[in-house]
This record gives sequence, C-alpha cells and structure tokens, in this order.
Amino acid sequence: MKVEAEQYGDRMVYSVSAFNRGVATWLTRLPTVWVEGEVTELRRQERWQSVFLTLKDPGDGACLPVSMPRGQFDGLRLDLVDGERVHVFGRPELFEARGDFRFRALSIERFGLGDHLAALERLKQKLAAEGLFAPTRKRRLPRFPRRVGLVTGNDAAAKRDVLTAITTRFPPARVVVAETYVQGPRAAPALTTALQDLCARPDVDVIVLARGGGSFEDLLPFSDERLVRAVASCRVPIVSAVGHEQDTPLTDLAADARASTPSVAARLVVPDADELRERLTQTRRRLQGAPLLLLERKRARLETAHGRLRALSPRATLERGYAIVRTDRRIVRTSAEIEPGSHVDVELGQGSFGASVGETR
Amino acid sequence: MTYEEARRELEQIVQQLESGQADLDSAIKLWERGEELHRICLEKLDSAQGKIETLRPIEPA
Repeated sequence: MKVEAEQYGDRMVYSVSAFNRGVATWLTRLPTVWVEGEVTELRRQERWQSVFLTLKDPGDGACLPVSMPRGQFDGLRLDLVDGERVHVFGRPELFEARGDFRFRALSIERFGLGDHLAALERLKQKLAAEGLFAPTRKRRLPRFPRRVGLVTGNDAAAKRDVLTAITTRFPPARVVVAETYVQGPRAAPALTTALQDLCARPDVDVIVLARGGGSFEDLLPFSDERLVRAVASCRVPIVSAVGHEQDTPLTDLAADARASTPSVAARLVVPDADELRERLTQTRRRLQGAPLLLLERKRARLETAHGRLRALSPRATLERGYAIVRTDRRIVRTSAEIEPGSHVDVELGQGSFGASVGETR
Repeated sequence: MTYEEARRELEQIVQQLESGQADLDSAIKLWERGEELHRICLEKLDSAQGKIETLRPIEPA
C-alpha cells in the first residue's frame, strides 16, 4: 500500500493515520514467532471481540501486550490465570487507530512439565554462571538472632512444625512470621515480597523459608528467578527449608544453608537453651571457685617469698654453726681489728656469750 | 545487654580470675560483676518469654 506524504518545501510530512498505516503494513512483513512469558492482566469480557493480556518476562519484567480473538481464545479452553508461564505463537501488529503496538496471538500453549524442566535447567546454568550459588557467597548464621523471620504458607503444617521446633529448642525465641502463598502462579512474587518485607525489619537476623513437600509443579515458585535473586541478595542469611531431602529447588542453592526437616532448620537458627543453661552452670561453678583459688595461689606465693627471705637471713647461717663476733657493736671481719686481751661478743645460732681474746694470728 | 554479651564478659571474668593476675581488691569486684552477669544470663534464658508475631496475614483469595 502506498503511503502519501505532503510536501512542505524540502520536507516530507506524513499524517498520523498515514504513518500508522505505513508502520502497520511494514510490521506484517515480520514472520510469525513463539514468545515465552508470564500471563498478567488477563482481560476477557463477553462484549469484547478480543481477549487482552500482558506477557511479562520473569527475568527483567519486560512487558508485551497481547491480543487474541475471543472465540479463538475460548476455543483453547486454557483457563489461564495471572502468573502462568505460556508460549504464545503470533506476529506483531500495530492497532492503527491508536498507534498501539501489540502481539497478535494465533495460539497459546501452557508450559508443560518438560518445558518447566528445561527452563529450570537453563536458569540454573545462568545463575550459576553469575556466581549466585558460589560457596564463597554463603554467610555464617548468627548464634543468637534477635529475631528469626519465617516465610511460610498461612495454614501450612510446615509453619507449625518449624515454629514448634524453634520454641522447643529455644523457648525465649522471637519469631516474625510472614504468611504468603507457597504454590500456584501468585506464589513467586508473593514469596519475594514476603522475604523483602522481613528483610526490611532491622531486628531480623536470619530468615527461614519453609514449605512442606509437594509435586515438582508445587515447588516451582521456589525456583523462580525473582525469588532466587531475592534470596541471594538478602541482607541477612537465609535457611531454605523447602520440600523433602530429594527436592532441590534453586532457592536451596542460593540460600546460605539448607534444612531438610523443620528440626534441622531450628538447630541452624537458634541455640539449644538446655545446653546454654548447662554451660552457664559450669561457668558459675568456676566463678565461685575462683576467689578461693586466687587466695590459695596468693598464699602459696607469699610462703615461697617468705621461705626465700628466711634463706637469706643471717640467722639461717648461724643455725648452720657459724658465729658473729662483735666488738663495740661492730662486726669483726679481720684479726687486725682486735688485740689480745680485748673483749668481744660472740653471737651463735642459739644465744651468745662474752669472751676475752687470747692471741691473734 | 544481650545474652551473648553478658555470657562473653562472664567468661572473660572467670578466665581473668583463674589466671591469678588480678589483685585481691579487684578480684572481689570482678567476682561481684561475674555473679551479676550470671544472674543476667539466667534471667534472659528463663524469664524471657518467646514471642511469635505475624507480619502480614494473607488475605483470603
């Protein structure tokens, strides 16, 4: 189709209608393709000719408006709900009257198990390559968290089991529970929000993600890219207590620790109160014994010093049989200091006596 | 003071006393402080009531 333009001097100017028609015509030359994304904002009304939805990229949130003739959409009998992953087959088109770009769907297919497995594996490789699962990223869990955050379903047995395990092991524990959807298309964004809400609490020092076992599809939200990234970038360490031993959702790989049961989760996040009490008792015993120990040590040290003092005293020497000779209170050290006939005092180990000097040599 | 802080200071005091470095006057002060810390730890373990709060209950679908 030829698109006419007006000539204004050396400038070609198109009318809006002509421009839109031109782009629309050009777009019809593009091939039909498959596009993968999450269904959001699904709008279907009886009086509308088309069904509208927005296809969202789960990775970065990029959006693509999609329309499909209502009769064709109903014929697929998909019962799609927001959040579901689909493949849409169609071609781009421009709605000329409004200049709206959209993807005109010819067919929509719900993601099958094989698609999920393949997508999961690709995501795993991608995040691993980014280093999200690296052991060096793992943080140490706090020994005494001020508060433990718990993300779980609102009536899940997993919630009760984890809470019981925590309060049994450490009765003074303080726990903040963020309840959310843990399965279905709404679970991944809801889990991510709940996790971020807990992170925003300044006194939460560790967070447990808890969910009981379930089918592969049930646990899919715990492999969602948004949640896995939120786990990896969280301010505080995260314990993943999702599913059973054999399940490995990607949150397990991004979390700082993995717990296969609620009691393992409790062991990881709170100390054992009985053990603490026992250690405290032992410390007290040492504390109470310490002053006596200190006194005994001081006394022993005093006795040693006293013994050394006594060993140095002249009395000890006298007791070994030596004597001190004095004249006029001066100690006589050489025979030149006295002469025959002079009087001396002789001090012994026991007692003393006076003597006259017979001869000097 | 948190439990962990009290416990750590208590351990330090016991070690200090056991090393025999302290003089008698400060030993008595240390011992009194140790007893106080022990009481603080015990209170935190025994009387601190656990608390479970719910951040944001999910609205029924």
